[in-house]
Amino acid sequence: MSTDKTNIPRRDFLAGAAAGVAGASLLGAFPASAQSAKTGTVRCWGEPGPYGGVAVAAMNEWAQKNAPGLKFEIETIPWDGVYVKLMTDLAAQRPPALISVESPIAMQLMAENLLVSLDDVVDKVGRNRIADGVKWEYWGSWKGKQYVLPAHHQPHLLLVRMDIIKDLGLKDPDTWDWNDLLAAARTISQKKPDIAGFTMALGRNLCTDYHFSALLHSAGGRMFDAANKFQVVFDSPQTVEALTFVKELRPYMPKGAVEYSFLQVVDAHVTGKTAMSFYWGRTLGRAAEENKAVFAATEAFNHARHPKTGRRSNWNDFQGWCIPIRNNPFIDEVKAALIYYQTSKDWLIKYSHSLVPNVAPTYKDVLDAPELRNHPIFQAKSRTVQTYFKDSLAHSSSSANEMLQGVNPLAGIVHGRSVLAQTVQKVVIDNMAPAEAAKWGARELEAIRRDNMRLLG
Amino acid sequence: MNRKTTVLPDRIVGLLFVVPFVVLAAVFMVYPVIEAIRMAFLSYNPLRPDLTTFVALANFAFIFEDPLFWDSFGQATVWTVLSIVFQTVFGVGIALLLHQALAGIAIFRGLLLFPYIVPTVVIALIWRWIFNPEIGVVNHALLAAGLIQTPIYWLSTPEMAMASTIMLNVWKYTPFVVICVLARLQTVPLELYDAAKVDGAGIIRRFLDVTLPQLKEVLIVVIVFRTIWTFNKFEEIYLLTKGGPGTSTFNLAVYSFEQSIASLRLGVGAATGVVMMVMLFLGSVIYLRVSGFGADEKSS
Repeated sequence: MSTDKTNIPRRDFLAGAAAGVAGASLLGAFPASAQSAKTGTVRCWGEPGPYGGVAVAAMNEWAQKNAPGLKFEIETIPWDGVYVKLMTDLAAQRPPALISVESPIAMQLMAENLLVSLDDVVDKVGRNRIADGVKWEYWGSWKGKQYVLPAHHQPHLLLVRMDIIKDLGLKDPDTWDWNDLLAAARTISQKKPDIAGFTMALGRNLCTDYHFSALLHSAGGRMFDAANKFQVVFDSPQTVEALTFVKELRPYMPKGAVEYSFLQVVDAHVTGKTAMSFYWGRTLGRAAEENKAVFAATEAFNHARHPKTGRRSNWNDFQGWCIPIRNNPFIDEVKAALIYYQTSKDWLIKYSHSLVPNVAPTYKDVLDAPELRNHPIFQAKSRTVQTYFKDSLAHSSSSANEMLQGVNPLAGIVHGRSVLAQTVQKVVIDNMAPAEAAKWGARELEAIRRDNMRLLG
Repeated sequence: MNRKTTVLPDRIVGLLFVVPFVVLAAVFMVYPVIEAIRMAFLSYNPLRPDLTTFVALANFAFIFEDPLFWDSFGQATVWTVLSIVFQTVFGVGIALLLHQALAGIAIFRGLLLFPYIVPTVVIALIWRWIFNPEIGVVNHALLAAGLIQTPIYWLSTPEMAMASTIMLNVWKYTPFVVICVLARLQTVPLELYDAAKVDGAGIIRRFLDVTLPQLKEVLIVVIVFRTIWTFNKFEEIYLLTKGGPGTSTFNLAVYSFEQSIASLRLGVGAATGVVMMVMLFLGSVIYLRVSGFGADEKSS
């Protein structure tokens, strides 16, 4: 693949130039005489992974030129601790200056009036840069204002060991529906007793919430009806169907899956203990480093279709940057640094390259940039990376924007209480009938709605 | 040159010595308790303190109507009773073994403290690895010894998860019982044993008629404290199982945490704490009365 700049298509060149102009206009807004004289550490929260560090490095580049007394520092929060950490620190009124967080929590903070509006930042970053197939609101807008700036999008897909699929003569996973997935998991478990047919998280945690959300949305079910004052619609045949599907898959999962969260699902796949798993792109990054054979054999696919709806919903982490409004002395500086980093195609590509294919670019000029392909995993797994980066977008969903039918400010609270995971566990641990579990989950969701009507506007 | 010295009355000196403790207790014990009791009557969302309202007994009504509260109470009782029984039995047994005049026994006594002095977070994380069904050392050893044919899923079923958390608690806190019992054993007059031997008492008779009565007072105190601390224990369960699988290892401390932080119902969490405090206070008073703690001193 050429990296010769003269080979960059005209469209990419223009998009990059537009971003450059935006950056230049920003620098114009911070002439040397108007540099920030503030000093101190600008605390930034991000999820585990190298990409938060790349973004902060970009912001420090801005600081060196425009605010020499400031230093941006990333603080990593484990996934399962993000809700507790956010809530306790915000409650104690010692928030960081900048947070990178998945959309359900961002939506909750936004609706609670705890975030700074970022419309001025979006204008400078470029409203028309957003990738085809997504909208700004997916990251976080409320009552006409944008509160979250895209960091990346990150769908979870079906990861499949193709060596095993071929060995057993199973058909192309891209053509599967739920019945095919179940049959494949069963066949693998029976014919390869040392390996689980399929793995998803079933613990009482965020990962299970996300995995189950995607199945629920594929079946056509939702937690809340955003168009009808967020009435709870969880007690539905679709929920029962999704829970029943999990129950049917359970015998072909590792026995320990009932305590699995993010890390354990990755571990199961990377160490070769499962033939298939639901996961984001991180698994491939880990496998590339730790188990070359698994990396070589694994491909990612959009999820198996629901037999009736045909939907292949994933849970897409529309991860974004948001700025807490309370007790934050660095709001102007963080906005400027964000604009600097988000208008630099180089930094955005470095960000995406830091863990391919886990963090997909969100702006067209970056997504289509030839330089983006200059990465060994992209070159080794071009189809899979493209599925994560682009092809999955048609199947995006999220608990914070169920089936993309409306922003849901209650989703963060739902995940904080692990309502979906607990509903799943009622079925797989307590042997509760799926219909009863759906009723239990609906009652929990109704309690959340009743307690938080103020968020629904 | 004459130096004028001021001699404070003993009473004042005594009070001055007590003041630092009183201040610390007021700040770190009394104030939090009062604040918890106050909060138990409020609806308080930490993200929106401006919306705080007085809700009278609604938080208590919430927890008493919540099946998870009663499940947590039942599980906390099982976890506490079994932990204390095993700690007491093992603690007394190990203390008797260590109460021997053998060369190098001091080294064993020192090593025994290891589980007690290592931070709980370290212990819990290490035990998570030890209990790991695929790569944990416990399963590896059992499989290698041929005692099991397939790995045990220590933390994946409600029964095994409860058993594992109890094992962790017993392992970590048995040394506390050992220390207390050993200290008491070393003050038991040897004449009592000599007299029992002269009367023809064997080793079991001497244990039942001499050792155990001498340990009674210290065991009552140890059991009260261990019960209070175990019933309130949060970090071991949370770090090892997070209350799972499902909610099968929830105790009231984990329930309170979940209500306060995950559900942002600080009032409900505080009400749970108040209920725990009342339960433990009443339980301790009844236990001390029934066990006759201090009765000898009163009669003398």
